[in-house]
Amino acid sequence: MVKNTMQLWLKKIKSKAQWTAWGIWYIDPPKDVSLDGYRIDNVIQYTDTVITIYFSLVILALIFFIFKYRARSGHTAVYDKGDSKKHVMATIAMGLLVFFSIDVVIETMSFRDLKEAFWNFPKGENVLKVEVMPQQFAWNFRYAGPDGAFNTDDDVVPALNQMHIPVNTPVLIQIAPFDVIHSFFIPNFRVKQDATPGMVNTMWFQAVETGNFEIACAELCGNGHYRMKGYLTVESQEAFEQWLADNAPQEDEEDEWDDWDAEVDEGNREIPEEWGWTWKEIQ
Amino acid sequence: MSEHHEQTFCSKYIFSTDHKVIAKQFLWLGLFFLAFGGFQALLIRWQLAYPEQPLPWYLLGNLFYEGGLMTPDHYNVLFTMHGTIMIFWAITPMLIGAFGNFIIPLQIGAPDMAFPRLNMISFWTMFLASIVLLASYLLPEGAAAGGWTSYPPLSTPVGGIAGEGQTLWTLALTLAGTSTLMGAINYIITVVRMRAPGMTYFKMPLSVWGLWLTSIMNAIFVPIIAAGLILLLLDRTIGTQFFIAGGLATVEGGDPLLYQHVFWIFGHPEVYILILPVWGIVSELLSVFSRKPAFGAKVTAICMCTIVVLSSIVWGHHMYTTGMSPLLGKAFMFLTLLISIPSSIFFLNWLGTLWRGNLHFDPPMLFAMGVIWVFGLGGLTGLYNATVTSDIYLHDTMFVVGHFHYTMAASVLFGGLAAIYFWFPKMFNKKMNPLLGKIHFWVSFIPLNYVFFNMMVTGYAGQHRRLYNPSEYEFLVPISDLNISITTFAIILGFSQLIFAYNFINSIINGEKAEANPWKANTLEWTLEGPIPHGNFATTPTVYNGPHEYSNPAVKDRDWIAQSEPMPT
Repeated sequence: MVKNTMQLWLKKIKSKAQWTAWGIWYIDPPKDVSLDGYRIDNVIQYTDTVITIYFSLVILALIFFIFKYRARSGHTAVYDKGDSKKHVMATIAMGLLVFFSIDVVIETMSFRDLKEAFWNFPKGENVLKVEVMPQQFAWNFRYAGPDGAFNTDDDVVPALNQMHIPVNTPVLIQIAPFDVIHSFFIPNFRVKQDATPGMVNTMWFQAVETGNFEIACAELCGNGHYRMKGYLTVESQEAFEQWLADNAPQEDEEDEWDDWDAEVDEGNREIPEEWGWTWKEIQ
Repeated sequence: MSEHHEQTFCSKYIFSTDHKVIAKQFLWLGLFFLAFGGFQALLIRWQLAYPEQPLPWYLLGNLFYEGGLMTPDHYNVLFTMHGTIMIFWAITPMLIGAFGNFIIPLQIGAPDMAFPRLNMISFWTMFLASIVLLASYLLPEGAAAGGWTSYPPLSTPVGGIAGEGQTLWTLALTLAGTSTLMGAINYIITVVRMRAPGMTYFKMPLSVWGLWLTSIMNAIFVPIIAAGLILLLLDRTIGTQFFIAGGLATVEGGDPLLYQHVFWIFGHPEVYILILPVWGIVSELLSVFSRKPAFGAKVTAICMCTIVVLSSIVWGHHMYTTGMSPLLGKAFMFLTLLISIPSSIFFLNWLGTLWRGNLHFDPPMLFAMGVIWVFGLGGLTGLYNATVTSDIYLHDTMFVVGHFHYTMAASVLFGGLAAIYFWFPKMFNKKMNPLLGKIHFWVSFIPLNYVFFNMMVTGYAGQHRRLYNPSEYEFLVPISDLNISITTFAIILGFSQLIFAYNFINSIINGEKAEANPWKANTLEWTLEGPIPHGNFATTPTVYNGPHEYSNPAVKDRDWIAQSEPMPT
C-alpha cells in the first residue's frame, strides 16, 4: 500500500505534462466530447480558481496569526470585541465581496448555460429522439423507426445496453425507469438525468467526436448498481443509419425477445415487451 | 434542588435524571458507534481500492465475511449503515446528546434540564433504537442496504432488496428521531426558561446558542422526516404504496419523488443541525484560547440564526437532476448561494478572534483551528454542488462524498473532539494527556485531508457513488492508484484514533485530578468544583458579564473573569 502511494507520487512528479494540468485538481476529468460540456468545465474551473485564492488567503492569515500572536512571555491579547461599527461593516463587506465574486458570477454563468443549453431542448427535424428505460440492472433504448412515432411496431429496439448516436446531431432523450430510481450518467458528455418511476424526464446532448463511451448508473438501484453499465457509440450519420436498419424489428420477433431476456442478469425482473410510450411533447 | 434522597447505583448511573450522567451515557453511546461506523468506513475504502480482494487480517475480514471477501449486498449494507450510524448514532448523540446535555444547564446556570425525566427517557429511547438497529445485523439477509437516504421504491419490499433489514432501519430511525425530539424540546425550554438571573440571550456563550438553534431546528424538522419514515414503514409492512410508482406499482397515485422532498426538507437542515453546535463550540473555544473576546459575537449569533432560516428553504439543491422545473432549480440555486453571505461573515469572525490574540495551542485549540481549515474547504466546495450546471456533472459522484465528509465528518468530528478535550476535565474531573492530544491532532489532520480531498478528486474524475467495484468502468481505471492511496491514508486515519481511545480511557482511570478551571475560562461551569453534585449550583449564580471578557483591562493580574463575578470598577 505504502509502495503504491509512493509510486503514485513519483509518477506525478515525473510527469511534467501533468504538472501543468494541476489546478487544485490534479487529475483531469474524462475527455469532454459534447457540444456543451465545456460550459460545465468552465464553471468548475472558475470556481476552482476563486476558491483557491480565498482559501489560500485564509490559510496565509491563519499561519501569520499562529506565528505573530502565539502565546509567549510579554505578549498579551488586545481587548477587542470586534463589535464596533467599523469592524462589523468590514466583515459584512468582505462577506459580500465573497458573494459577488464567486456566487453571483457562477450563478450568472449557470443561468446562462441552462437557458442556452441544458434546459433549452432542441427542436426540429434534425433532432434524434430516443426513449430510454432503465431497469435493474440494464439500459433499454428505443428509436422511433421509419414512421417517426414511438410505441409502434416499427420501433427499433437494439440489444440491451447498446446506444448508438450520430455525431454532430442533437439527441433528445426521454427517460423513465421500469422499477426503481436510476440515473443516466455519461461522464464524457458531462450529463446526468435521474429516471424516477412514474415520471418521464427529458435531457439532451450532442456529440462532437466519434468513439465509444461508457454510460453509468449514478443512483443506487440495488446490488447490481455497480455493473449497470451501458455502451454509447458515436458514429457517422451513415454508419448510424446502417446500424438502425440492421436492428429493425424482424418478422420472427419471438426469438429475438428470448435472446434478449437471456442477456438480463440473473435476479432481474421480467419486463413487459411493449415498454415504450408515446413521445411526450414539451410545452 | 438541594434535598436529594438516597440514590441507589441504578438511579445514580443507569436510570439517572441528572443531565451530567445522561450526557456521559450519550457520550459513550456516541463513541461506541463512532468506532463502529468508522471501522465500516475502512471496509468500504478497502473494497474501493482492492475490489474483490480478501480483506486483510487487521480489518478482521474473516470474522465478517466468508474468506474475507465481501459481496455487493455486503457492500451496500456497509455504506448504508456507515452513513446512518455516523449521522444519527455517532454525531447526534455525541454533540447534541452529550454536549447539549452537559453544557446547556451548566453554562446558563440552571440546576438541571427543564424536564429531567423526559431527558432520561430520551436517552433510553435512543438506546432502544440502537438495539433495533444492531438487531438488523442478525437477520439472515442482513441490515438495510438502500443507502442512508433509502430512496423508495428501492427501499420498499418490491425494490429488489431481500430481507427485513430496511424495516428495522426505518423503525430504528423513527425511534432515534423520537429521542432527538424529546431532547430538543427539553433543550429549548431549558434555555428559554431556566437561565440564571442576568443571563440575557446575548450573554449566553455561543456554544449554547449553537445547541439551542440546533434544538429548534430538530423540533421543526424531525417530525417531517418521521412522517416520511412512517409512510415508508407502512409501505414496507402493510402494503400501502405511497412511494411506489411505475412498473412495480399495482395502484396509481404513489410518488417516489414525494419521499425525496420529505427527506431533504429534513435532510438539508440536518446538515446544519449537526454543524451548528460545532460552530458555537468553535467560536467559544477560539475565544478562550486566544484570550480575547469572540470577534463580533452578536453578529456571529445573528448569522447563525439567518442560516437556520435559510437552511429550511434550500432542500431542492439535492434534487437538481430529478427533472425539476427550471424555475424551481434557479430559485433553489439562488437561495442556496445566499447562505454563503452569513457563512463568510461568521467565518471571518473566527479569524477576527485570532487576530491580535494571545494564542495557546492546547489540544482543544488545535482541533478548533482544524475546524477553520476543514470547514473552510467544506464550505467552499459546496459552491460546486449549489450551482445547477456543475452539479449536473458532480451530483452523485465521489465529489459530493468528499464535500459532505469535509463539512459533516471532518468539521463535526474535529468540533466534537475539541469539545471532548475541552470539557473532559469538567466531565470526569481528570486531566487528559496534552502531548497525546497534540499527536492525535496531527495524525488525524493530515490523513483526513488527504482522504477527503482526494475523494473529491476521484469524483471530479467521474467516479460515481456507491460502487462495489470501480474497475467495472474503463474511465475509472486511471484513478485506481489514487483510490489505493486514499485507502492507505484512511487506514492510517482510522488506526491513529487508537491514540485518542487510549488517552481517553487511560485518563479516566489513571489521570491526574484536574483543577476546577484548568483553561481559565469565564463561563459558569468552570466556577464549580468537581465532582459537580446533582443539582449543580449550591446557590443560583447571578450573571454580570458576557462570556468573552478575556484580557479586559479592568481586571488586574489575570486575563479572565467569571461571568458570575462582578466587574471591578
